Amino acid sequence: MPIIETHDLRKVFRTVKRTPGALGALRTLFSREYVDRVAVSGVSMSLEEGELVGYIGPNGAGKSTTIKMLTGILVPTSGEIRVAGLVPHADRKRNARNIGVVFGQRSQLYWDLPLIESFELLRAIYGVSAERYQRNLAEFTELLELGDFLNTPVRQLSLGQRMRGDFAAAMLHDPRIVYLDEPTIGLDVLAKEAIRTFVARVNAERGTTFILTTHDLADVERLCRRIVLIDEGRIIYDGGIEAIKNQYGTHRTLVVQLTEAYPEFAVEGAEVESRSGDVVRLRFDRRALSADALIRRVTEKYCVSDVSIEEPELESIIRRIYVEGYSEPGAAAASEPVGA
Amino acid sequence: MTGVLAPYVAFAQKAFAREATYRVEVFANVGSLVLRVYLVRSLWTALYRQNAAPADIPLHAMITYATVALLMSLILEIDGTGTIREKVREGTIATDLMKPISLPLYFFSDGFGRTVFHAVTIVPSLALALLLVHVDVPSGAALAAFAISFAFGYLVNFFLNFLMNVVAFWTLETYAVQLTVRWASDLLSGQILPLAFFPGLLGAIVANLPFAAIYSTPLRIYIGELPPDAWPGAIAAQAAWLALFAGAAAVAWRSAERRVVVQGG
Repeated sequence: MPIIETHDLRKVFRTVKRTPGALGALRTLFSREYVDRVAVSGVSMSLEEGELVGYIGPNGAGKSTTIKMLTGILVPTSGEIRVAGLVPHADRKRNARNIGVVFGQRSQLYWDLPLIESFELLRAIYGVSAERYQRNLAEFTELLELGDFLNTPVRQLSLGQRMRGDFAAAMLHDPRIVYLDEPTIGLDVLAKEAIRTFVARVNAERGTTFILTTHDLADVERLCRRIVLIDEGRIIYDGGIEAIKNQYGTHRTLVVQLTEAYPEFAVEGAEVESRSGDVVRLRFDRRALSADALIRRVTEKYCVSDVSIEEPELESIIRRIYVEGYSEPGAAAASEPVGA
Repeated sequence: MTGVLAPYVAFAQKAFAREATYRVEVFANVGSLVLRVYLVRSLWTALYRQNAAPADIPLHAMITYATVALLMSLILEIDGTGTIREKVREGTIATDLMKPISLPLYFFSDGFGRTVFHAVTIVPSLALALLLVHVDVPSGAALAAFAISFAFGYLVNFFLNFLMNVVAFWTLETYAVQLTVRWASDLLSGQILPLAFFPGLLGAIVANLPFAAIYSTPLRIYIGELPPDAWPGAIAAQAAWLALFAGAAAVAWRSAERRVVVQGG
């Protein structure tokens, strides 16, 4: 049985229509004209326990609205949701016991108090037994290296330390599901890596289900096997990361380091993507031309000191989907002129 | 039962601890209070020399009234529900709604913890104040009735503040509403001036407003302006205001919560 299931979920926000100008503002006070804004439009998805799914889309696509409905703090306009057997908005407090939430942009820790005191407060809120609390605290302190600043007031922590504290805070009560909303925003490379390692480990060892919302696709690439892509309130892709990479990753880039600066550079079957000084980037379709053949063509005409091949990153694939829209496999391949 | 209340006890404890971290502010508060006690004594002594006083409150009772009112304000001026406003404006109310707790109870226990901390500071304040002024001490029965009446006044004040802050769910900026109500409350509750000073019809109206339940009723019991047989009636009136305000707060909260869950805050 899926742990999270939504069916045809919709959320429409209704706001009073505003007329511009001073007179308009006066009219707005009395008029009852409304504007409907559809934030989520027919989202159906299903997650099994222990999955780690990346939920991605551009700003305003409906990600946060979906997460708010899953946490029970927003009532859907229509459609069904079940999270661990509960309807979240009808059973907000019971649902709250099953979930943990981490927001990159705002902390749930107590600003004025030492980190450890926030943990103790959460222990009281969720009624975590002393033994389980000690065990979790010891484990998280070790994994997230919290030991140095457990007794420091939260307002004095660096962003990376605070985020690690927030992760521990969200998981002290052993939630079955954790929602991560841009958890690595603003963090340096090391802190990002610490957080990613922690999530991967909790997912593997405890079987916790994660939904990860992020703009940093490196998070997704590192952690998730499955992504759900949402745009304008609709799901446009739901499936494996490998599948979408194979489908869209028909092109590779060959980076060539030339020994001298040739005034002209052109090779049949590949397109010059960019050129700066003696480094040329060539984009080619791997189905039409093998990398080996392309390198031979280049070296026949030019003197080359180094070559390397770049795989397309998830980021560039997603960017293309945002711009062009998603098309089914087959259709994508056919619509792409070879050697373009 | 303790299991259900455990989070709220913890909230109150943390609020107490948090309040204690601002040590300089605590000392400043005690100092400022002692100064205010001295000023109040000087002011009333001067006013009484001009025969400005109503006949039934002698000067020593007036100075007692003003001093006890200042000590009460240490507790009553703590607006524990101010966090509602901050949380709504900063959007952190959403994180709180994701926890298995009752938010009105959370705000109450948080405010209560802060209050208890400030109640502790009354002791040194009073000790220092007693060096400057003489304060009458009423009978044990009157002190007990005062304590009960003060508790009701505290709760009426809490719900009044709660209602003011819940307005933040509709208009993010509540400062004007707050200020107006605070001024009205300061003047009409009997904090600055005993309500006996209001003449005729105005006095009758002011005595029957809810603000009187906050300062005036407990203070009139304390200085003996209200005789023992009038205590039950006065406290019943406070209880009625409390019931009304608590009911209004419950309705306001329910509709505020609905607004968040339907409109997304």
